[in-house]
Amino acid sequence: MVGLPYDCLANPLGAVRLTFDKAVSSGLNPSTSNGGDWGSADLFRQFLFDDGGHSQVPILNAESVKHLPPNSLVRFRGMIQDMLGNEVYVGAYKDGSTWRTNKFSDVSQIEMDMSPDMKLWERRLLYCVPVPGLNSWAEPLEALSNQQKTFPSEQREKRPRDDDEAVDHMELGSSQGCQDSPITKKMRDEAHPSSSAMQQDMVNEGTTPFFGSPESERNSFPCLVKIYDTPESDLKMNEIFEFIGVLSFDPELALSKDESDMQSNDLFEDDLVQLPPSKVPRIHCLVHKKLVVHDFVDGSAMAESNPSLIRGTRESLLSHLTAVLGNDGMAAQFLLLHLLSQVHARVDGVPVGKLALNFTNFSKETTSVFGSQLSSTMKELIPFTQKISLTIEYLNNAALAPKKDYQANKLVSGVLQLAEGSHLIIDETELQAGTLNPMGVENARSLKNLTESQQVEYDFQYYKMEMTADVQLLVLSEGKSNILPADVVLPFQPSSTSPPEIVEEAIVQSWRWYLANLRSLSHSITPEMQKVVEEDLVAARQADRSLGSQDFSRLLTMSRLMSLSFGETSLSMEHWQMVKELERLRKERLR
Amino acid sequence: MQSMNTNNVDYEHDRGLAKDFLANFADVHGEAKYMNILQDVANRKSRAIQIDLEDLFNYKESDDEFVRKVTENTKRYIGIFADAVDELMPESTEPFVDDDHDILMTQRSEEGTENADGSDLLQKMPAEIKRFYEVYIHASSKERPYTIREVKASYIGQLVRISGIVTRCSDVKPLMQVAVYTCEDCGFEIYQEVTARIFMPLFECPSKRCKTNNSKGNLILQLRASKFLKFQEAKIQELAEHVPKGHIPRSMTIHLKGELTRKIAPGDVVELSGIFLPIPYTGFRAMRAGLVADTYLEAMSVTHFKRKYEEYELRSEEEEHIARLAEDGEIYNKLSRSLAPEIFGHEDVKKALLLLLCGAPHRKLKDGMQIRGDVHICLMGDPGVAKSQLLKHIINVAPRGVYTTGRGSSGVGLTAAVQRDPVTNEMVLEGGALVLADMGICAIDEFDKMEESDRTAIHEVMEQQTVSIAKAGITTSLNARTAVLAAANPAWGRYDLRRTPAENINLPPALLSRFDLLWLILDKADMDTDLELARHVVYVHQNKESPALGFTPLEPSVLRAYIASARKVSPSVPRELEEYIASAYSSIRQEEARSDTPNSYTTIRTLLSILRLSAALARLRFSSIVEQSDVDEALRLMQMSKFSLYSDDRQKSGLDAISDIYSILRDEAARTNRMDISYAHALNWISRKGYSEAQLKECLEEYATLNVWQIHPNTFDIRFIDT
Repeated sequence: MVGLPYDCLANPLGAVRLTFDKAVSSGLNPSTSNGGDWGSADLFRQFLFDDGGHSQVPILNAESVKHLPPNSLVRFRGMIQDMLGNEVYVGAYKDGSTWRTNKFSDVSQIEMDMSPDMKLWERRLLYCVPVPGLNSWAEPLEALSNQQKTFPSEQREKRPRDDDEAVDHMELGSSQGCQDSPITKKMRDEAHPSSSAMQQDMVNEGTTPFFGSPESERNSFPCLVKIYDTPESDLKMNEIFEFIGVLSFDPELALSKDESDMQSNDLFEDDLVQLPPSKVPRIHCLVHKKLVVHDFVDGSAMAESNPSLIRGTRESLLSHLTAVLGNDGMAAQFLLLHLLSQVHARVDGVPVGKLALNFTNFSKETTSVFGSQLSSTMKELIPFTQKISLTIEYLNNAALAPKKDYQANKLVSGVLQLAEGSHLIIDETELQAGTLNPMGVENARSLKNLTESQQVEYDFQYYKMEMTADVQLLVLSEGKSNILPADVVLPFQPSSTSPPEIVEEAIVQSWRWYLANLRSLSHSITPEMQKVVEEDLVAARQADRSLGSQDFSRLLTMSRLMSLSFGETSLSMEHWQMVKELERLRKERLR
Repeated sequence: MQSMNTNNVDYEHDRGLAKDFLANFADVHGEAKYMNILQDVANRKSRAIQIDLEDLFNYKESDDEFVRKVTENTKRYIGIFADAVDELMPESTEPFVDDDHDILMTQRSEEGTENADGSDLLQKMPAEIKRFYEVYIHASSKERPYTIREVKASYIGQLVRISGIVTRCSDVKPLMQVAVYTCEDCGFEIYQEVTARIFMPLFECPSKRCKTNNSKGNLILQLRASKFLKFQEAKIQELAEHVPKGHIPRSMTIHLKGELTRKIAPGDVVELSGIFLPIPYTGFRAMRAGLVADTYLEAMSVTHFKRKYEEYELRSEEEEHIARLAEDGEIYNKLSRSLAPEIFGHEDVKKALLLLLCGAPHRKLKDGMQIRGDVHICLMGDPGVAKSQLLKHIINVAPRGVYTTGRGSSGVGLTAAVQRDPVTNEMVLEGGALVLADMGICAIDEFDKMEESDRTAIHEVMEQQTVSIAKAGITTSLNARTAVLAAANPAWGRYDLRRTPAENINLPPALLSRFDLLWLILDKADMDTDLELARHVVYVHQNKESPALGFTPLEPSVLRAYIASARKVSPSVPRELEEYIASAYSSIRQEEARSDTPNSYTTIRTLLSILRLSAALARLRFSSIVEQSDVDEALRLMQMSKFSLYSDDRQKSGLDAISDIYSILRDEAARTNRMDISYAHALNWISRKGYSEAQLKECLEEYATLNVWQIHPNTFDIRFIDT
């Protein structure tokens, strides 16, 4: 880092401004520009991905925010929970005769006058939360080691004193950098005392649920991400991203909040008043990267995969699942397919590839044994898992679908606002007969809609909007669930209750890798196989009139998943026969 | 405003242009449009002067440059136009009662002469305080309005037109425009123009006399003399159809001033033109957070969206497209196939639904009796035969459609209810789904699971097209001119073939007879459809898309436009056809009398249905006269709908299909006294009796080998061989 004139980690804004000055001197005219990228993104991309800077960037979370210096480069992994629209800011202005920019920051370097040479640019605000149901093993680990690098642990004990050192540390980085006006310096100095004040805030208000999140997620740590230069279609609701950008909180902005209360314009407060920077840190995003399930899984264990290895993993996972399910081999087979399922296409609004599973014959007693075993196994295997116990009371009171709150101008999240690839167990065994209120009816409808079409209706009061979802649904119930019409209904028949053996971490990791990677393989059916499948389907329908397109669809999904579970990308006769046999056995059990 | 000084000359010139435009613009009738408005304003009949940008554009004297400047710096040009209006304002021609404002003004102008202390800016009366009108500039309504997310930072200061739904409205409050103070010491009136939401009041008298005396005269704000403007804030949000997939609707703050206040309420779908502006932060906040600016739209006009067919306005390219479509002979098939194209088959059901969308004209007889033109359809069938999907698709196509279930979620239900307003505690009448769908289509899913109270009320809705209510001292009748599209499950969840249709259909005959068409959609079994289904599913899984339809369905917007223009036609039945219809009706009645099925319900309503369907068919052809082919098609549809119910009966009737088809064709040929029957005609006749095209072909071949008739090798037309 010594060779560089700026420190991307500690003084990213310096780097940004330097590129801006360079661009201006080489012909960029800020008065006609709309704030589009002038090369800073490339610079950071190079620093992060080519020069290996990525792993040095500290991760922003509830813990690290207490000691991360403002205006430094941070990483944040989160799901887009709400979109707050555009924000217009003074992007470029003239300081005397030189152009300066405010891109990627909330406060300007120097005080500005209202002048005609002020260019208004815009950025988009995204409200992000940590991925709902993220299991602890899936949290990025590098963060810890990195923090220790920046703040050795013995220093951490005497926190308040640390500030000076942090400032020193930063000065070190930025003094080599470009313009360091006295005001910025002063600002930074001021920023620090309040970082400990903020810390206080966090402690005091730790018990109150954060905005937007259901109460169950008290420890959730939201973040307001400001997006520049990215087409709208790149960032969608409920997608998971890693945002790398400039951490910003301005204590003075936080102060002015009280003032804005004074002159509050009746109903219409500033949207952001709801999100005080002391609770919700801001990130000015420089680089972002979309994450999918397998980005949360450590892939090093299976870096080299060959068919026999995959087969072996499949076998060991299957036998583990069988043990978890009390020696019910067939249930384990279906569970394996279910865990590999994913909505891989939507045709005319109908999701293709989902395989919601309903284990019946679960009573309260069996749930206490197998239900908890199952849910802990899921937690081990899938990065994000959730569990809902359905009761009449829960249905009548819970907020399942997200709802827009116009009073606060925010989208109040619901339990069903889940990231792509989440696993959801719904335990219906506790459900008793009772009366549903309108809320309960609505919730039951939402659940049904999710199982059937993998969609959640977000309530915008004046209209509803369907948001697509991709959630693996596992339903545990006594009889066939009517609220949640799953694709596969299977009576559960355990034969032993011995808990599964403890498995080595390395093996668990290989399973995680197996589940996360195989599900996204592409898959096809050869024309010959296609013919066989078609004939078999027609024959099946001739024999049983009750079969419909849904059953056909299920069989094809299962055959796809069966192939994938062996790591194969084309359907073979053998696997098709296995699927048919599995289906036949299931039908037998249903009788 | 600081930067404006340099351009003063330009603005002077532009004021001249504005003045010239206002004084000389003549509308299509040659009237001096704006001078008339000014006269009205002078006579205190109105307060708003609305300048249409389109007029400015059309005005021969104004150049494009001027129009562009007005669009891009609207706020400034409103001031320029206001200045021009000041100069042009005529004397009032009618007497009016002086109000406070006028009295004050007279006093001021008298005092003004003696106190003139011209050099002091704050003592000069601002032009604003003298104005008793407001100037608005409307954006051109020719182009498509922007969606909220399309309005970017680069539009700041410009005139834009957007559409959206109102989500929140504040109360109307006074907004100070000119603050007027009087000085305790010198007695001067001091004026302060307020341009922002917040202003710093003056405390010291700035007049020359006080300054020279150094008396620091105490200023007192005169509320009665100050000028206030009505002010309302609102929030609008993007319409659902404008939000890209995976995104959240955006919203925007709207400021409504003066005459534009109280025009909108939450839930309204509106189109607004206005100026997109940033809110300058003031005071402490400006210094600290000066980086971020909130934006808002200062409204210039408010239009409520129209969502009825009758008010649907076609754009010129749409008109051409429709004209081209109408010339196409296949339009009936093309349109019907484009309804829910993803749902396989059900051609006749879709045709019926198309007729429902189209409807027949309402008739009002001389004695005041009304005959409805709306076509009611009931779809009944096994679960999972895409009934709900059909319903939802129809609602999408209809410009005004309400989708609800028999057990409507709100307490109001389907018809109407009297409820106590939680705020005022008054009894208020609230319309249900049927009332909301007035002049549109109401799709009711789960029709069989309807509340008893709604079921009684729906009788009235379906024939009289009103909802009458007499509850809690409110006796009234609401219009519910809506076409009802109902979907119902059979009585035992699935259609039970061992029981009679009447037993399966869980609805009283009185209600059933009100439906023009009743379709039973069953999940029937045969090898071909099974293979079709299997292929479809395999294809979808393989290719992640639906197989090509073999035709390009028309876009819902085109469908909507076509139907909207078709609905403008009002076809009539010519005298020659009356006889034909009457005989067709009587033959249905007789047939029913002969048959031993006890569940007949052909009544005079059936005759009206035939007329309605025929008229709807004529509308689709943009013809003002119903033709025999329309009536034939209407009869065929009715017959098909009946056969969907009683299809199993004919199997019991002894005759095998092939010979039955032959006898049908022979009878038909004998009736018309002809030797030739066209294939299309034959198909029409046999399908009315519930036979399929495959059966017809089989029959044609079989009897051709017997040399009973000849079949044309290409067209399949039939020619009987004379014996």
